[in-house]
Amino acid sequence: MNGPWFTFSFSDFSYAFLSVLLEGVPFILLGTLLSGLIDQFLPARVMVRFLPRNPFLGICMSAGMGIVFPMCECGVVPVIRRLMNKGLPLSNAVAYMLAAPIVNPIVALSTYAAFRGQNAADFTILRLGLGYFVAVLAALAVHNLPIGAVLRTGVMAVTGGGTADGRGPAGFLGRISAALRVAVADFLDVMVFFIFGVAVASLFSTAMNQEVILPLALNLWLATFSLMGFAMILSLCSTSDAFIAATFVAFPGVAKLAFMVLGPMVDLKLLFIYSSVFKKRFVVGLALGLFVLVGLLCVRLSVLNL
Amino acid sequence: MIASLQRYVSAGVLMVWGVVISYFFFSGRVGSYLHPSFHTWTVASGIILVLMAGGILFLPQAQDGCPEGECLHTFGGKTWWGIALAGIILVVPLLVTTVVSPSQFGAALVMNRGMIDSIGDLPGYIPYAEPPLPTEDGSQPANPVETQPTASYLPLNEAGQIKAQSVDLLYAAQEPTMREDFENKEVELIGQFMPAKSNNPKGDRFNLVRMFVMCCAADSRPVAVTVQAPTTENFPEMSWIKVTGKATFPTEAGRMVPVVVADQVTATDPPEESFIY
Repeated sequence: MNGPWFTFSFSDFSYAFLSVLLEGVPFILLGTLLSGLIDQFLPARVMVRFLPRNPFLGICMSAGMGIVFPMCECGVVPVIRRLMNKGLPLSNAVAYMLAAPIVNPIVALSTYAAFRGQNAADFTILRLGLGYFVAVLAALAVHNLPIGAVLRTGVMAVTGGGTADGRGPAGFLGRISAALRVAVADFLDVMVFFIFGVAVASLFSTAMNQEVILPLALNLWLATFSLMGFAMILSLCSTSDAFIAATFVAFPGVAKLAFMVLGPMVDLKLLFIYSSVFKKRFVVGLALGLFVLVGLLCVRLSVLNL
Repeated sequence: MIASLQRYVSAGVLMVWGVVISYFFFSGRVGSYLHPSFHTWTVASGIILVLMAGGILFLPQAQDGCPEGECLHTFGGKTWWGIALAGIILVVPLLVTTVVSPSQFGAALVMNRGMIDSIGDLPGYIPYAEPPLPTEDGSQPANPVETQPTASYLPLNEAGQIKAQSVDLLYAAQEPTMREDFENKEVELIGQFMPAKSNNPKGDRFNLVRMFVMCCAADSRPVAVTVQAPTTENFPEMSWIKVTGKATFPTEAGRMVPVVVADQVTATDPPEESFIY
């Protein structure tokens, strides 16, 4: 191996750190602005009204609703909580919660941009398709569980806010102001986690001699599951995680795909946010199930030679 | 009290981000960090962040989007120190790295990532396809590979030398049509100096490095061309140099590699576009 395994240079770190921040901020901002507008201008009953009564079709449709109502993983939990209070079935809510941060136009755009020149269309289609499929499978599993085993006590009793029940701010300017405040709160929250994630990613990508991780990157199973673990630790926003995934140049494409599919569904910050709505046992089971499922599916997709 | 603090800290954080991002765009520094296709997004987000800061301060205060007891936002802390800590986390790393970052990578990064000296290792490379054979009637079928223009398309410097990029020579080593344009021709290249620590038995070689970028500096890959010079000055690692000399393509270790036999190597300023795309 040429050189030591770890050579930290603060100037290299700061350069990589800044470049990812500058690249990711526009996408996070776009996502949170949309989130604020949806929060204030989209009544929850609109989503419920258009869902099919057949549970399977309802889940399939809910998992695809992110295309019309995009939401990042940080903002989606308060939304599904409000939607469940308005009558959205639990399994539909889980499908939307898991899929919407991946299956939406902003993520499609950012994934395509991040992987430009590296099979961008393939990565984008596979990411959205696999995210949708995994969310539907998870929601079907949840459909068979009693609500008491999934939701924390008292969650359904909390009444919603915003405009959905008419308690929201009066007037267009008032709503814009409220939407702006939601967007700002979402943006600042996401940015705190994003900064930590980018810092860890920048440290990893600049200081570590990539020859050290080559054995890990060359083994399909190790590469896939280690990048999924890394996605959980980094807790990146789905609108910008593709830019970080694209920098893992030594890793196989399916490992990067697993990173981008699992991260928006399960990561450290989401485990805490999920715990505010779901029972801890369910959160742990969901995380483990998704980790294994996404890993196995991605390893299976290695036949595509991404 | 806490609500007011939260409001002012939020506005302050947004303002700092908006101003810093706008500064990167308007100073031209963004060119050292991002692919040009992201520059418009950058300036738009900078301006929007500044507007949002103004909105938070001056728009009429409506009820918070998150109802009482339901807020999951960590920034919506209930203590002054929690809000202050979040503000520090959001602002200090940005400001420190903006001041400290040299807007280019150093030698440690190049050594850690390894240098690309074969075009096949470059992201997005499409292998060269041989032109199709003539049909039975002797006519030339439509060529799926776009025919390369003759050498007249290559930019020249005042001395009549081809102003080449390191990636051009890597392509030329792989693709015969392109190689004809460069082989044994006088070229001028600008890049960053890195000593050659391998494949340098006589000690008269060094690497000329340019960073190849897909999206941003963080994903950049060092692309290196070997330069052979009669006397090698001790330039600082990753300093910018200009090399003029003859492009050759010897076969080494079983593959054709580009080697520039230099007439002159001089220190120079960084080019306007420090990346290659």
